[in-house]
Amino acid sequence: MLQKKICMLGSFAVGKTSLVRRFVEGFYSDVYQTTVGVKIDKKNIQVNGGEVSLVLWDIYGEDDYQKMRWSYLRGASGYLLVADGTRRATLEKARQLEERARQEAGAIPFVFVINKCDLRQDWEVDDSFEMQMRAQNWSLLRSSAKTGEGVEEAFSLLAQKMLG
Amino acid sequence: MGTAPKHSRDPLEFRPKQPDSGVPEPEAPDREDPEQVYQELRELILAPEQQALKDLHHRVDDPTARTEDVGSVVAEAIQLRRKQGGDEALSAALTPTIEIALRESVRKDPATLADALFPVMGPAIRRSILETLRSFLESFNQVLDQSLSVKGLKWRVEALRTGRSFTEVALLHSLVFRVEQVFLIHKKTGLPLGHAVAPAVAMQDPSLVSGMLSAIQDFVRDSFHTPQGQGINRMNVGDLDVWIEQGPFAILACVIRGIAPRELRDRMAEILENIHREYAAQLDAFDGDTAAFARINSELSCCLEMRYREETQSRGFGFVYATAGILLLLVGGWLAWRSVQYRRWERLVNRFREQPGYVVTSFGRENGRFAVRGLRDPLAADPTGIVQTSDVNPHDGVFHWGGYYALDDGIVQQRATSLLSPPGGAKLVVKDGVLQISGSATAAWVKEVQTKGQLIPGIRAVQFSPELDPARLGINQAKTEIEITVIHFPLGSAALSDAERAKLRKLAESIQALLQEANGLHESASLQVIGHADTMGAEASNLDLSQRRADRVASELVQLGVPEKELHALGVGITQPLRLEDSVANREFNRSANFHVMTATR
Repeated sequence: MLQKKICMLGSFAVGKTSLVRRFVEGFYSDVYQTTVGVKIDKKNIQVNGGEVSLVLWDIYGEDDYQKMRWSYLRGASGYLLVADGTRRATLEKARQLEERARQEAGAIPFVFVINKCDLRQDWEVDDSFEMQMRAQNWSLLRSSAKTGEGVEEAFSLLAQKMLG
Repeated sequence: MGTAPKHSRDPLEFRPKQPDSGVPEPEAPDREDPEQVYQELRELILAPEQQALKDLHHRVDDPTARTEDVGSVVAEAIQLRRKQGGDEALSAALTPTIEIALRESVRKDPATLADALFPVMGPAIRRSILETLRSFLESFNQVLDQSLSVKGLKWRVEALRTGRSFTEVALLHSLVFRVEQVFLIHKKTGLPLGHAVAPAVAMQDPSLVSGMLSAIQDFVRDSFHTPQGQGINRMNVGDLDVWIEQGPFAILACVIRGIAPRELRDRMAEILENIHREYAAQLDAFDGDTAAFARINSELSCCLEMRYREETQSRGFGFVYATAGILLLLVGGWLAWRSVQYRRWERLVNRFREQPGYVVTSFGRENGRFAVRGLRDPLAADPTGIVQTSDVNPHDGVFHWGGYYALDDGIVQQRATSLLSPPGGAKLVVKDGVLQISGSATAAWVKEVQTKGQLIPGIRAVQFSPELDPARLGINQAKTEIEITVIHFPLGSAALSDAERAKLRKLAESIQALLQEANGLHESASLQVIGHADTMGAEASNLDLSQRRADRVASELVQLGVPEKELHALGVGITQPLRLEDSVANREFNRSANFHVMTATR
């Protein structure tokens, strides 16, 4: 069985945990995130005809009260970089997080997910931003933890990138 | 290997000298050429070494020759290594090769290995089965030992409360320790490389647990800035311990219930070292594919051990049976004692039932004591005396007696005797409620009995013996009174003085009474009035005088109410003198009349 550790990175309250919850039925309570700073779930998916076990480290987003623990990124084969489309600051933050992640874990595969596409009318980001990101060879997807749109695709795309 | 001479360009290019070729070497035409001379000189001087070197090269490069060399010393080399104490490393190094060789042998022809193993497989399988059975019986015995004890009951309550099976709860409490799970976790990724779990242990997904264990390690390391390479060695919650052994690439974590000995820590370290030695390359290059670690779970299983509490061997059933036996004896003894007591009291109550003057209405236990309720005649025997002559303890019971009049003949007889106070000659007997009186008694007492007798409770009739019949007694009394009466007359006269008339009035009453009593007895009674005269005077006149005297008295009585038909006046002259006339007084006494009563059955 092939196993891969992947991390969820993103600012506070961008919807990382909701995406994971949408993707997988976990066993640990969310309390772990505020105590240890991470919650771990698992999901088996099919990629290129083989089964891969994704071990998801849902890392607590940095806020005024708690710093992100970068050591949790160690050993990850990839990560999902999540931003909130309705808050432009989180997209800017995503760039910083990507840079920091590159320093910590090297150039590992990642997928950039702009979440909350069910609130498209409230988005503070326009198509030009997305084009700019794509121009930098970022894999970019829109998702909604609420409707489930783009969730499976995001994880699946990341798995494919990790397996080359 | 020695180093090649520096002055040599290539020793292998040297042509060896061939002294025994048999062909004389031609005289070199350019003998004077210094280069050639040097070459020849070199050849002459160095030929033996060059030949030796060439032989050595040949032995090293030729696989056949090298195999021959190694083959001749390989057994000694292994022996030497074992003497030097490198067993484990040697075993670890040889194991993969041997495993591959065995696998290859089985693939080619399973029969070869099967034949070779045949003599040892039977005993090995038997031993394994025995060991499994013994282990199973041990755990089963532990559970069984405890299932009937007080502790066992507590565990049953715990099992009900926690929803776990009793066996599980009992095993958990019987264990000194048990290694429930073993995780081998890749240090960098936190992914599980191997996982072994003891039977019947509830477990979560090893990936999640491994990840969280790694996260917690990171968390502690970050939070407290511990030096690189150090981490948590132990986590403890209640009776659950997690022991962690750190390696360069992997960590080994044992989840232990109870208190494990220190040797387990040593074994963990040993296993982790072996794994690092055996899988060094795979651990370093781990990219999530656990296929390379497929065999590792069996190595981890070595840590899954358990040890039971060594107690309660002799207690167990013996203790339970002894306790149950004592309890049974106590209960049985108590029941027997109660039964004996009950039977004693029952016998006493039956005595009261048979006793005249007692009626028992109820008998049973009240507030832990025997209670007897009933009625008692005041004349019945004293209850205290009856209890004292029985075999019961008077303090164990209580009596409630109400008063009543018993109708038993004995009690009624006592009651009658007590109330009637019979004179000494009288005898009272009660039979079937009839008071029978016999013997001798005064008429007055008999009369009193006649009046009071039937008022006594329990007496329905009074029966007198014939001699005490009240009517007969009346007749007899009247008869006596009449027959002792003598009426006196003056000399030669039949006249009655006042005194004699008074006597006759009293006599008339007695006669009336006599007639009445006789009538009651259905008898007839008559009275003979007998006139007398003294011897003075003529006989004929005396006879006449006596007749007149009798007539006079009869006439007087008729006047006083006595029926004439019941009176017979008879003068007897001097023929039946009342007294001998031996004195004047006696002579005067004979101038009289007396009476004789005659009765007859009608």
